[in-house]
Amino acid sequence: MKKFKIKTNLVSGIIMGAIALILILCIPSQIRVPAYDSGAPSPRIIPGICLAIMLVSSIALIIQSLVLKQEKVVEFDWEKEKPAILLIVGMCVYIGLMLCIGYVLASLIIFPLVLFYVGERKPGPYIVVLIAAFVIFLLFKNVFNISLPALGLLGGII
Amino acid sequence: MSDFAMISQAVPQVFTLYNMLLIFGGLILGMVIGCVPGLSVTLGIILMLPLTYTFSDPASAIILLLAVYVGGMYGGSISAITLNTPGTNSAIATTFDGYPLARKGKVKKALDTSLFASVFGGLFSAVLLLLCASLITKLVANFTSVEYFSLGIMGISLIAGVSGSSLPKSLISGMIGLLMACIGMDAVTGVTRFSFGSATLKYGIDMLPAMIALIALTQVVQKLRDFKVACGKLDDARKIDKQGITKKEMISILPACLRSSAIASILGAMPGVGGGVAQFLCYNEVRRTSKHPEEFGKGCLEGIAAAESSNNAVVGSAMIPLLTLGIPGDGVTALLLGAFVLHGIQPGPTMFTKQGVMAYTIIVGCLVANLLLAPLGLGMTRIVAKIVQVRYTYLAPVIIMFCFAGAFAATGNTKELILCAGILIFSYILTVLDIDNTPLMLGMILEDIMEQNFVTASMSYDRNYSIFITRPISAVILIITIVLLVSMIRVNRRVAKLNEEQEAQMASEHAKMENA
Repeated sequence: MKKFKIKTNLVSGIIMGAIALILILCIPSQIRVPAYDSGAPSPRIIPGICLAIMLVSSIALIIQSLVLKQEKVVEFDWEKEKPAILLIVGMCVYIGLMLCIGYVLASLIIFPLVLFYVGERKPGPYIVVLIAAFVIFLLFKNVFNISLPALGLLGGII
Repeated sequence: MSDFAMISQAVPQVFTLYNMLLIFGGLILGMVIGCVPGLSVTLGIILMLPLTYTFSDPASAIILLLAVYVGGMYGGSISAITLNTPGTNSAIATTFDGYPLARKGKVKKALDTSLFASVFGGLFSAVLLLLCASLITKLVANFTSVEYFSLGIMGISLIAGVSGSSLPKSLISGMIGLLMACIGMDAVTGVTRFSFGSATLKYGIDMLPAMIALIALTQVVQKLRDFKVACGKLDDARKIDKQGITKKEMISILPACLRSSAIASILGAMPGVGGGVAQFLCYNEVRRTSKHPEEFGKGCLEGIAAAESSNNAVVGSAMIPLLTLGIPGDGVTALLLGAFVLHGIQPGPTMFTKQGVMAYTIIVGCLVANLLLAPLGLGMTRIVAKIVQVRYTYLAPVIIMFCFAGAFAATGNTKELILCAGILIFSYILTVLDIDNTPLMLGMILEDIMEQNFVTASMSYDRNYSIFITRPISAVILIITIVLLVSMIRVNRRVAKLNEEQEAQMASEHAKMENA
């Protein structure tokens, strides 16, 4: 199953319709009515309208697909999409690492791996990563006064 | 204070060394980002946004972002001409004639034509912006929160209507954006919405990390994917010759520039129409009225001029609804609206009364950026074009590192990074489902303005919700919204059809040229 076709109108309609329906059902528990009346409209109105429009649009997509036979079919090629999915996973791991060992170390671990994965074998991009991690960290720390996550070693750089 | 007095105060504020350096820097960065296929003007603006946090003058921040926008629109044409790959969506029509001319060995002529047309279009719309802004502001000076809410509806409806090929999908995307902005504590009632007991969601989703994940990170991941799939193969950039455009040729393309700039300025001023739509309509119109329509698609200077003056004309005219009504004209101005909000500026009629000098500083800054594009383009294009040849693996890690640092900088809280990852995954799912995330971004940006005005209007009229229909101006705005929505959907279909025809024609002509 390396390639499969997605009927985007139908699938979007079902997924988004389900999300809209679940969120509509969640409104009473997720958006409580204020204890006292300040004269302001209910905080449920805007989200409620949005969810209603989302649900109607989802139904419209399903009708388009099943009744009117208007469909936009997209081919999902696993071989082509696998790198994108792995890169997104890589970004998530990067964030996890950043929270644990800091910005510079996480960058120095993840990006060489990413570069190696995408097939880069020249040393140039690896050197750029090494320099950029330190430069961006110091730029934010000294110029913008924003300390990116760090372990507090080497004068706060790592 | 009169408009003239405000303009005379704004001019010296723009011509400070600091602002001029910002404009230069912004233009060069825009050109670089615009010319690298896969990087876009929106990405450039997002990367710059965290840097502007430290600016003491919000006008300087907006001027820098506008310079990136102007430079990026021209930069998009460099790769369109040299590689047949438009650097931005707005430069697709430039490939129709720019690339065939480059194949004839006249790269410099094509680039010069593009620069001349870009500057012409940009200046045309910037002057229009300067002249019209105050006039429109006076017309809408009596608007109340009721009308502003209706304007918000107009903004989101039109973007939903014109972006992407499916209206229901765009509506879903826009509504998700509004819902995402609803998450967290409601400013009026203090009630928490859709936090699901999570501390990360309790304080809401900040706009900047969301925009970074939706636009910048999504683009970089897709581009890296393509790099991996193509095994790092890059297109060959062409060498730039020395034969530029002659004065005679410059005069010959003036009518095309003028026609295209005028049409694009009208289209760009309509909320929801961006350079992507304008370029096709202008290209087609100039071809229709040309004395030599048969030369179009074969390296015709008029064709390049039509495409390039239209996409740069949109820059200034898209600022008209943004500055006067607070409604973004396209995806990039939606980002600029976000930048305005982040810097505590509320665009709209009150901006010209309360912060008039700042409004004119931004407008004059836009004008100056377009003026400076000419010498900068002449001097820098050759160097910038070489950047197209830089391997993407040099750029991607730096962009990603910068993105996450920028997302963290929004609030200095690690929750932003977690949200960034979550939104990146969600954005990928939307891409797979063929749902455009531009309306989502716009929904996020407009929600605050819409809800604020909705609450104010409701409280002012004792929760009489029919007020949005019974107040005449509001009703007119809503009717115009419906009319524009229907007409824009028609225009969109026409453009899609034109695009398909052009691409088919170009593909067959390229095939013929390859065979030859």
